[in-house]
Amino acid sequence: MAYQAVVAGVGITEATSPRKQTHSFVELCQQAAHAALEHAGASPDSLDAIVVGDIDGFEGTVLGAKFQTRQLGLGSDIPVIVVNTGGTTGGNLMQVAARMVRSGTHSRVLCLGGPTFFGAQDLQAAINTNSPMIVEQPLGMGGFHMGAFAASAYQARYDIKLEDFAAVVVADHTKASKNPFAHLRYTVTIDDVVNGTPLSSPLTQPMVCPVSTSACAMLVTSRQSAQTLRTSPALIKAVGTSGDPYLGGGKGDFAAMENLAILARRVYAMADIRDPYNDFDVVEVFAPYAHMQPMQLEALQLCEAGKGIEFIRSAESHRGGSLPVNLSGGPKCTNAGVAGELAPYIYVAWQIMGDAPEEIRVENAQRGLAHGTGGTFFQFENLAVFESTTESR
Amino acid sequence: MTDSQKTTRFQPVHVAGIATTQWLPEHHAVVDELVYQAVADALNSASLSRHEVGLTITSSMDVYDGRSISSGLTNSASGGYLRDSYRLESDVGTAIIAAAQAISAGDVDVAVAVGAYNPETAARDAERRAFLEQLSNYAFDAHFARPVAMTAQATYGLHAVWAMEKQGLTLDQLAQLAAREITVASTSARSMRTSVVGPEDVLASPAVSWPLTELMLPAYSTGAAAVVLASPARAARANSRGAVITGLGHGTGSYLETDEWLRDPGASSARAARAAYRGAGIVDAAATIGLVEFTAPTPSLYEPILAALGVDKDLSPASINPSGGAAGNYPGLANGALRLLEVVERLEQGNHRGKSAVVHSVDTITGATVLDSTVLVVEGA
Amino acid sequence: MTMTSPNTQHVHWDLDYDIHLGETWGRFMDGLRDKKIYANTGGSGKVYVPPMAFCEESFRPNDTWVELSGEGDLEVFTVVWQGFRGGPKPPYAIGGIRLDGADTLLMHYIVGLDFSDPAGIRAQLPQGSRVRAVWAEERSGQILDIAYFEPAI
Repeated sequence: MAYQAVVAGVGITEATSPRKQTHSFVELCQQAAHAALEHAGASPDSLDAIVVGDIDGFEGTVLGAKFQTRQLGLGSDIPVIVVNTGGTTGGNLMQVAARMVRSGTHSRVLCLGGPTFFGAQDLQAAINTNSPMIVEQPLGMGGFHMGAFAASAYQARYDIKLEDFAAVVVADHTKASKNPFAHLRYTVTIDDVVNGTPLSSPLTQPMVCPVSTSACAMLVTSRQSAQTLRTSPALIKAVGTSGDPYLGGGKGDFAAMENLAILARRVYAMADIRDPYNDFDVVEVFAPYAHMQPMQLEALQLCEAGKGIEFIRSAESHRGGSLPVNLSGGPKCTNAGVAGELAPYIYVAWQIMGDAPEEIRVENAQRGLAHGTGGTFFQFENLAVFESTTESR
Repeated sequence: MTDSQKTTRFQPVHVAGIATTQWLPEHHAVVDELVYQAVADALNSASLSRHEVGLTITSSMDVYDGRSISSGLTNSASGGYLRDSYRLESDVGTAIIAAAQAISAGDVDVAVAVGAYNPETAARDAERRAFLEQLSNYAFDAHFARPVAMTAQATYGLHAVWAMEKQGLTLDQLAQLAAREITVASTSARSMRTSVVGPEDVLASPAVSWPLTELMLPAYSTGAAAVVLASPARAARANSRGAVITGLGHGTGSYLETDEWLRDPGASSARAARAAYRGAGIVDAAATIGLVEFTAPTPSLYEPILAALGVDKDLSPASINPSGGAAGNYPGLANGALRLLEVVERLEQGNHRGKSAVVHSVDTITGATVLDSTVLVVEGA
Repeated sequence: MTMTSPNTQHVHWDLDYDIHLGETWGRFMDGLRDKKIYANTGGSGKVYVPPMAFCEESFRPNDTWVELSGEGDLEVFTVVWQGFRGGPKPPYAIGGIRLDGADTLLMHYIVGLDFSDPAGIRAQLPQGSRVRAVWAEERSGQILDIAYFEPAI
């Protein structure tokens, strides 16, 4: 027989910049792992395996998980699975764990995302090493340069002003200011954003994510195994990933997230979602750059094409609105690499479990959507739908 | 694990297709081309198309592929364009397990696991080993082990010395075992070592990490190998191979914080085997297993790993590493699939009727430490 | 390894690779040396530049080669104001060009923009502007044998 997979515990550390961080990579991972186990009320020796995300070129260590997992206080013999799909690694961890549990071979699996960027002296240089070798890498593109193409195209398609992108940033910072686990907790004005240092047109510094250090962990168990734990688990109702072509130039249209739109249809069908705007109570999308959030919301059918920024400006996407989006402040305010990519899944599961931090909690959230994206030119997308396992209150 | 889950039998998955590229000292190809070749051939042999595949999993490593997030390159090549696809940085045995779990979970009907290994270097022989060992050194922690030159080869040497001093292993035994495995392998078309050798040849080959010489280390090759798995229902309508995976297990060994890797290097293989036998409903491995393909990176690891698998010590030589194991061909991260292919072919020949087979693989990235082991129980179909 | 501060240790990676070109990219690079831009197709109707050994969608080999003119539409571009260590000195512009006859975009440098007026840059090259490849004097079989693309009036 097979089993349903649930999220039974989550843990996330506070976030700060690499410069101010006093804990080591391993110490942050220890904190997150134990926080997730503590949340669930599960003992370390009840774990069957740990799934970790490494992005070696960014970390200065090959397969760091191999030795790091033995320093977490979880014992020396826990089986380790290392996933590396670049930016989508976070969401992939949960997908891998879910299948291990569903197949019946494992009953409790911990997913762990560490502070991938911690220690890189020049992150953009590291990111350039994943630009397709030989044919695109010599062109001097780092992360935000690759991101800028879509911003440029979206801007041209819908006549977006810099002030419009700035409104997205203002919204994210307002939300992050309430999240005790966010890195950047200061609010910003439209002018702050528009007048920020230009990076790669049309993106200015305030429009792109910070380099944060934090770690997070998630305990995935079978629904059966969760019965002896103390939380009200979030059912992993549907999960999927989709890959765009390898070369940046393989995309059809930079002004629309076609790959994500295709994935959304597939995952929604799996979860019987027919009216996404009304079916979901809470959403977290992975938008490290300001232009990405409206484009993602459009591809996810949560608003019409070109109307993403209007929705983000409106009270409906804030706490108390009809569809709160990125109440965590999103990666625009906290991006710790793999930890950053696992975070949307952590926050939505947390909301569905009824235990999200009070300051950002959506009461009685029954169904939520979490999204991740990454890789060169954001080639990969992943998506998951969570459902509450308790009756509607 | 919860008690009720401990008794759950693994839902078997069929091997619908396996294919490999040629095995060469170096492929003049981009790694995605190797992946494409293996996957396309495996799908074609099974009469399946990539559009029916629900999940593709690649085993590869950024540092071998010379690019970060090299999965961006190989996802499409594995058939994953606009589909569910991801990459594990470990031996393809782990990808085979993940693919099987996805089917057994009921998530997909067909899944592909592909391992690719073609390190982006033109160096050969000692220089090539030096490059690969540099990568291995980076897999050790930067504060303590890396600065003192810990590498896979160093750990293999250390383990061999331990076994000689504490467990009575002799240099002669090491040389004899290596020579035997190479000689068995030498008749296979897939072997990288094609000459019969004696213990004196083994001892005379270049010293690598005392007491180990070059001929005591795996015969590395490059290439890619793909396995297509299918649910029993789907496999029945595909042109499937005659093999079914009935159990699987994965274990990872200790790092330097304990001396388990020296005392009991087979520990992770034993844990993997226990999980695999449990899933397959095997209570007496010695009585049930009739064929073993396992992976011992050095002759000093041979006995500990074989013992860890719990098979009958009196199995005929033709039933234990009939291919010659890693001493004949060790294609890096593609090894788990090659070992599976060797077993599938022999099961199809019908020589092991009534018995199950065991396929075992390990990675060599951190040598004897954090030894990542996979075990599959396979039966003829 | 030297200590840089009480809480960090400096770690350096020094990796040299010989990246295999394979036959497909090898042919493309040889073409560049001869001032030719080759694309490939055949797995489906989609024409790939840079070429790919197989079509991602149909999963069949791309076994037909076509030569492209080197002119096309500039679909999208960005101006880099902040670069990265080891990269080119900013400001510089990179664009995605739909070469005539190709279905994919070729990413390459765009030269000919006036960087002194950041706000007006997009207007200098509206989406879809025609651009053409400019060849480097010295060519050795690498992507920068095309030095850059410039506006084609």
